[in-house]
Amino acid sequence: MSGSAENAQRRLPRLAPGESADVGLLLEGTYPYVSGGVSSWVHEIITGLPDLSFGVIFLGASPESYGEIRYQLPRNLVHLETHYLMSEPGTSRPIGGGGADADADDADADTFAVADDDGGEGKVRPRRRALSSALAEMIRLHDAFKAPEGGLDPRHLDAASALGGPGGISLREFLSEDEIWARLCNEYDARCPTTSFLDYFWTVRTMHRPLFTLAELARRAPGFRLVHAVSTGYAGFLGALLQRQRGCPFIVTEHGIYTKERKIDLARAAWIRDEETPGDGSLGQELGYLRRLWIRFFEGLGRAAYASARPVVSLYEGNRARQIEDGAAREHTRVIPNGIDITRFAALRAARPAIPPPVLGLVGRVVPIKDIKTFVRAMRTVVAEIPDAQGWIVGPDDEDPRYADECRALARSLGLERAVRFLGFRPAEEVLPQLGLGVLTSISEALPLFVLESFAAGVPVVATDVGSCRALVEGGDAVDRARGVAGAIAPFAAPEALARAAVELLRDPARWRRAAAAAVARVEALYTRDQMFTEYRALYRAAFEEAASHGRDRLRAS
Amino acid sequence: MAGIGFELRELLRRDSLWGLVRAYAYAGIISSGPWVLSILGVMGIGLLSVGPVPALEVRQFLVSVTYLMAGSLILTGALQLTFTRFIADRLFEKAEGSVLPNLIGALTLTVAAAGALGTLTFLLLWSRASALGSLGPGPWAGGGTVVFRLLLVVTLAALSACWITVVLLSGLKEYRRVMGSFLGGYLVSFGAALALRPFGLSGLLGGFLLGQLLLLFLMLALVVARYPSDRLLSFDFLDRRRAYLSLSATGLLYNFGIWADKLIFWFTPSTSEPVLGPLRASIIYDLPIFLAYLSIVPGMAVFLVRVETDFAEAYDRFFEAVRGGETLAEIRRRRDRLTLAVRRGVGEIFKIQGITVLVLLLAGPRLLDYVGISRLHLQLFSIDLVGVAMQVLMLAVFNVLFYLDERRAVLGLAAAFVAINVVLTIASQQAGPAFYGYGFSLSTTVTSIAGLLITSRKLDRLEMNTFMRAGSTA
Repeated sequence: MSGSAENAQRRLPRLAPGESADVGLLLEGTYPYVSGGVSSWVHEIITGLPDLSFGVIFLGASPESYGEIRYQLPRNLVHLETHYLMSEPGTSRPIGGGGADADADDADADTFAVADDDGGEGKVRPRRRALSSALAEMIRLHDAFKAPEGGLDPRHLDAASALGGPGGISLREFLSEDEIWARLCNEYDARCPTTSFLDYFWTVRTMHRPLFTLAELARRAPGFRLVHAVSTGYAGFLGALLQRQRGCPFIVTEHGIYTKERKIDLARAAWIRDEETPGDGSLGQELGYLRRLWIRFFEGLGRAAYASARPVVSLYEGNRARQIEDGAAREHTRVIPNGIDITRFAALRAARPAIPPPVLGLVGRVVPIKDIKTFVRAMRTVVAEIPDAQGWIVGPDDEDPRYADECRALARSLGLERAVRFLGFRPAEEVLPQLGLGVLTSISEALPLFVLESFAAGVPVVATDVGSCRALVEGGDAVDRARGVAGAIAPFAAPEALARAAVELLRDPARWRRAAAAAVARVEALYTRDQMFTEYRALYRAAFEEAASHGRDRLRAS
Repeated sequence: MAGIGFELRELLRRDSLWGLVRAYAYAGIISSGPWVLSILGVMGIGLLSVGPVPALEVRQFLVSVTYLMAGSLILTGALQLTFTRFIADRLFEKAEGSVLPNLIGALTLTVAAAGALGTLTFLLLWSRASALGSLGPGPWAGGGTVVFRLLLVVTLAALSACWITVVLLSGLKEYRRVMGSFLGGYLVSFGAALALRPFGLSGLLGGFLLGQLLLLFLMLALVVARYPSDRLLSFDFLDRRRAYLSLSATGLLYNFGIWADKLIFWFTPSTSEPVLGPLRASIIYDLPIFLAYLSIVPGMAVFLVRVETDFAEAYDRFFEAVRGGETLAEIRRRRDRLTLAVRRGVGEIFKIQGITVLVLLLAGPRLLDYVGISRLHLQLFSIDLVGVAMQVLMLAVFNVLFYLDERRAVLGLAAAFVAINVVLTIASQQAGPAFYGYGFSLSTTVTSIAGLLITSRKLDRLEMNTFMRAGSTA
């Protein structure tokens, strides 16, 4: 860890040795250094449960990727530690070679020890045997990671948990021992003998090095009554290790699906130098071995978290199904949707007109994943039917300027200069009262906040069939469906269908008013922030009780 | 600059016996030329001065120069390797501009150290030796005039400066220019010493010094022309983060090891006699070993050819494979080729130097007669032949290990070399004249064989060490 990071940490809240916090939040690349959906959610959970004390273990890649703390840290956040997994020695390739590493003779201090191995048998043997058994255990964990499907036995995690500790493989051994090298070569020969060995070697190094840090973090972490990882990946794995080491309750909440997002990143990542695979370039089996290795690694981390966490929480049923498919046990999964502050939006309902205003609003960043172009194309059909209709795009357009330009050019070429307006960022309270319909054309979403806010303001929504949108608009279970349809669902990238659905709603004020009422009823019944707090409070309480009863059982048993 | 390896490969590629002979002759000249020249030059001055200069003074001149050589080599030993490595690292970084100022810095340091050491020697040893009356015989028994003593100090500094410049230029593969400078320098040394014969001992040394100064300036001129710089002086090479203590220790030990047995013989009363002030010599021990050193020319030639052609090529190809992202199979294949190149080089040194030793063993008696040395020296000469042959092998092994960046291994070997040489030389003195020379020869033999075993192991583990070590120091 660099000196500056340590300096910065001095100002952070820190538990003294022996002190503990109720909830240890394990966060990867989010709160409090990045603002955004997940970070805001974490901040809300901490501030919304002021009677509990929280600790945060933040995991980042390297210090350069993160700036200052973006939030006013709540009073009940009593501990914050920051760690960077990719800036430790052994994770990056040294630049140059040959004579360039003029750093010292100390660098190869163990060269003679290596040369003298044959001599000092007596001393070397016991350590060797320990490494062999530690390695054998580690290989069982690898086999579990490699097994294509299904859950992962948490007992296999002991090998990862012991890394760098007593009985485990030490970092020095991992970086320099013959047996590790032999194992690495054997794996290479057996699995990818045509890949660049340099790339393979550094992939394996970079992949494993953070696990030593995580194991060490788990051993050193302060006392938490429970740990709660807000993603799988490294944070989820740290949770699994803590659970295994301490037997404390462990909860995972996923907003998106970490492993899926990683897979999409990895398929595109330019930093993996893979052999080019001839073929149609489609995702999947055409990927090079190193990319598949990385994907399997993150899948394994995810499965380790799923296997250890009780429960595994997702935002909506679709993601829950995905988690089950990825190895979570159905009985341990549950859905807790995000909630919003209803009172903020309820006041806006008074300003709603009786007749639908012909304004369609899309609130979101102007980026390809939101598929703004489909919205623009849909507006042409809407304007053909309702000539004075307007389409507003409300959100920052500086993230992908080229895409924003393309969208504007498209609007011009369709003759929609007056009908389609790019308004930039505006507060939701200002925009929502003027909308006839909220529109969401995204190709990927989980539980979009914009839909909840529109509902809370009494604005029906026409959305593509992504994430939880169908459940939001049409209702989830039977009870929810009875609340009515709060807008309409259209297929992806189908501007005609989207436009027709919108026009139908705008032309039928009675149906439009029913949709608005259903929207309000649904969001107030299921998606309030208070409800979310209540659910997590209950979740935490149940975990504390379970831990206490486990403790009693253990006392009784001993 | 085409480079020595390129020239040698060109000669070898002609695939004719003549090409082969020329390649090895060329390699022999550039690898051994400088020190053969220096031995012959000094001997020549001695031979041609007997008569005009009293024999005792000639002997005092030869012994003085021997001590100066030994002293300057050991003194600069601490700097030779680490400085060469420093320069190699800077050139790897394309920082050519730092060559000249650091050379000047190294020379400044060396000259200061040599001057201080020389002066101190006079103040402490020389005067004490005079006071105790344990002086050599003859008119210069008092230890020479003030002029002579000054000449000794200046020559020590000049020789030391030469060695630093020579190792730098050899590291830069400027063998030919080094050879040319030596030729010029020793011609002047020879001529000037003869011209100054009327001044006796001081004249001989003064003439010798003139040539050495020319040698130094010829080499310096080359560095100035090749590596111009806008800075005059720099001591970056002493920077702890860039200096290699192990290389410093290795250089010191190696050079000390080479002279250890001689020093022991010089300062054991029963095997030596006083020649000049505190300087003593061992007639029985010195002549055979210096004669034997002339026999290593063929081995050195083979060594240079092999290292600069097959080995350097195989070495580059191995690391290209590593950095270029080849498969492990290809990396191992190239490792095997590198191993083969080492094996072939060692084999050829064994063969060529072995034949040379055999021939010289057979011709030994007649050779000694011809040079005019008593046959009493034959046994020592024979064992020295083996010893210096093994020293060539030892040098080759050290070189390979340095290429593999196994600095610690070489340091250990150099330490072993010194220890064995000292212990066995003292033991050989106890055992009697029949065993003289065994200390030195066994030390080079044992060190070479140990070095070969370590090299073999390092080559077996080359790809592991290359990857695992690079990764754990990052």
